[in-house]
Amino acid sequence: MDSLHATGFYVSSGVLLIGALAVALLPGREQRGAGLLAVGLGLAGACYSLSAGFAGAVAFVCYAGCAVMVAGPRYRSIAGTAGVAWRQAGALGAALVLAVLVYSSWRGNFVSAPFKGGPFNAVALGRLLFAHDVVATEAIALFGLLAIVGAAAGWRFRERTR
Amino acid sequence: MTAGLVAALVVACAVVAVGVFGATWRRDVSAAVATIPVMFAGACLAFVGVARFAAAGGTHLLGQEFAVLLVVAAVALVALGLGIAGREGNR
Repeated sequence: MDSLHATGFYVSSGVLLIGALAVALLPGREQRGAGLLAVGLGLAGACYSLSAGFAGAVAFVCYAGCAVMVAGPRYRSIAGTAGVAWRQAGALGAALVLAVLVYSSWRGNFVSAPFKGGPFNAVALGRLLFAHDVVATEAIALFGLLAIVGAAAGWRFRERTR
Repeated sequence: MTAGLVAALVVACAVVAVGVFGATWRRDVSAAVATIPVMFAGACLAFVGVARFAAAGGTHLLGQEFAVLLVVAAVALVALGLGIAGREGNR
């Protein structure tokens, strides 16, 4: 990886981490939506730096959609039932997950190989998605369809009961 | 300056951990649902990094393929979660 791509990767990673922290910590839904947009932008930039331009473009579009849903007027907040002790235990678990994953990544002995693909890879990915692994693609498409139908039904139910 | 598989994996781990922290720390269930794509973003970055640096010969793009499927699944999960929250929020 040359210096320009490495710089792009680190800058995009910074945007990604700032957006993730904004989603996790900021109070307002508009701020969380902006954070999700920053996550999408950072992920797209990081993917492009890693020669995965098509995956980055798909990620940016999908995360922009998530940001619109989170920041939109149909957003409703529901108070959770977990106590403070469980939430604190969850936060400690997140710190433990971070420590274990970073240690295993840092100390791991990975085989490195040269990458021979292009920067965008849309054709090769299309062949994988629609020819080699078409069942997985159709399963995800079915799941997405069911989720959108369920979301529409949920929002419609709320509108009717007003 | 250069970046390798370890850098990609460390950033991915940090993003996953921030997502896990947000999902467990948030009192609002809808806000916790919004952190699910953050976890998926970390997983996507790890898959793309492995496909870029650790593909053993040739162009093995399975990591990129799985990353694309993951982000689509993340959108579906957020839509479903917020839809259910909108339904339950009126009760």
